[in-house]
Amino acid sequence: MLSESARMATAAEARFRIDAPNSKPRAVKVIALDRPSEAAIKQLAGSQWSNATFLTASSFAGTPGKKEAFSVSGWLSDLAGLTKNLIDEVSTADLVVMVATAGQDDQAASIIGEACGAKHVMTTALVLGATAGNDEALARTLATLRPHARMLVISGSDDYIADMLTALRA
Amino acid sequence: MLRKEQNELLTQTGPGTPMGALFRSNWIPALLTEELPENDCPPVRVKLLSERLLAFRDSQGRYGLIDEFCAHRGVSLWFGRNEECGLRCPYHGWKYDVTGQCVDVPSEPEESGFAKKIKLTSYPLIERGGVLWTYMGPADKRPPLPEWEFATVPKKHSYVSKRLQESNWLQAMEGGIDSSHVSFLHRSDLNSDPLFRGAKGNQYNLADSQPYFEVVESTGGLYIGARRNAESGQYYWRITQWVMPCFTMIPPRGDHPVHGHFWIPIDDENCWAWSYDYKVSGPLSESQVQAMREGKGVHAAMIPGTFRTVANMDNDYLIDRTAQKAGATFSGVHGFAMQDASLQESMGPIVDRSKENLVSTDNGIIMARHRLLRSVKALMDKGLTPPGVDPEHQRVRSASVVLPPDQPFKDAAREALKVQPGVAHASV
Repeated sequence: MLSESARMATAAEARFRIDAPNSKPRAVKVIALDRPSEAAIKQLAGSQWSNATFLTASSFAGTPGKKEAFSVSGWLSDLAGLTKNLIDEVSTADLVVMVATAGQDDQAASIIGEACGAKHVMTTALVLGATAGNDEALARTLATLRPHARMLVISGSDDYIADMLTALRA
Repeated sequence: MLRKEQNELLTQTGPGTPMGALFRSNWIPALLTEELPENDCPPVRVKLLSERLLAFRDSQGRYGLIDEFCAHRGVSLWFGRNEECGLRCPYHGWKYDVTGQCVDVPSEPEESGFAKKIKLTSYPLIERGGVLWTYMGPADKRPPLPEWEFATVPKKHSYVSKRLQESNWLQAMEGGIDSSHVSFLHRSDLNSDPLFRGAKGNQYNLADSQPYFEVVESTGGLYIGARRNAESGQYYWRITQWVMPCFTMIPPRGDHPVHGHFWIPIDDENCWAWSYDYKVSGPLSESQVQAMREGKGVHAAMIPGTFRTVANMDNDYLIDRTAQKAGATFSGVHGFAMQDASLQESMGPIVDRSKENLVSTDNGIIMARHRLLRSVKALMDKGLTPPGVDPEHQRVRSASVVLPPDQPFKDAAREALKVQPGVAHASV
């Protein structure tokens, strides 16, 4: 007689697995940290997503005096240019994905990361453009992102973002 | 989450399938050298990539891997007589050499040349590092011989085992790159297993059960880094290597041997879990080899004379609920290998990935699937050789290192992540 483990692992038994949704939609906020990343996510935003919101913080890089006094509003916007409030966005997120390009000014990561930390929202960072020969640029970007991203992915191809978001049911 | 058709694409490896073509671009482990211990020894049935084959060693020590069944009446040649440089079918005496060429059909006049018209499918079988490797792809695309470091060190420096896993290869392989499960499933074994305990790196592990992860593409596959805080603001990194399609090398611990796996499809519902341990700096000690034989570390205790594990699905993996409750083991199953296998087999023969809910710490798995899908497409559409076939992609190492906080690990540990002949692994 088969053990319970042996019997339950058969393909025949797989037919009796409950075929019902086992999760609710997750809100994923994808934030471009710089202009090249913004261009990458603009392409993505045209696809069909369950519950992904695409935002850009690229104007943060040009904010004067950002290190002296920063605001959680005014520099985050949707891709149509409508200003968004960081806290509002993070508060309604299950996951924040920060998209950065190696060598760009990605200082917004620290504010976004702190906001996510305060709201207990998981963060992932994705670094694009990490080609051979730009080690210094990549090191600068990593130094900025590492404290604020529990998962960091360095991808050689921009099309990884779409696959990742699909895999995460975004 | 994978769509149904993507899941089928990655999990089906039989003849004519895209993923099967990718596997057939590589030299893959077929059997242990010890399974064919001497000339004219009994042949061994081998099923790989959904093809029924037979391995044998002829009177001159040549290895052959041929279609299991006689071209005459379809008899299994496993019953054959291995004699005088060929395998003779016991039914009517047809005889085949190691290339599958029929060399004798007793019922036909020798002068008729009939035997020359009969040839079974065959694949090359070569010995390297205690493993017999085969290449099952087109003869004109045969790649250079495998260069995995464990298979190139002196014989006494390595130990290789294999075990049957009753699941599709992909869910087994994905367990090998799923770094975040170690802190749960294997937590109790780090300080007790003789092939893991005592390393300084274990202290970093146990002090921080929520590491940060980084996934970085390499030319042959992926680096998967797990980062924990070390002294003086530095980071302790454990960097796993995954080389396409199914090779993993786990970061070393202290002075212990380095280990890893291959996950080779037998058919779509079973695979071989190959496990190796090796040490560049010197031979494995007797006690280490003994521990491996007993199923410690990444190896598993076998039912004598088989490659089926003592703990298996037929006995509920000998689950020990008392040990689970007491915290001696997290899942109640003993040993790294069976802790993994029990859960991966429980998913069913081929897990339905359309139902899963991955999270961001699963990016190693997501990226591996992404690279496999991309490479399968490039192979099928453009005939591009997949990553991992080039021996340069195989000359890699895992590493455990302490690095400054702002450096990309693949650059800061560049030397540690590739084979350096005679130089020990970077290990903490």
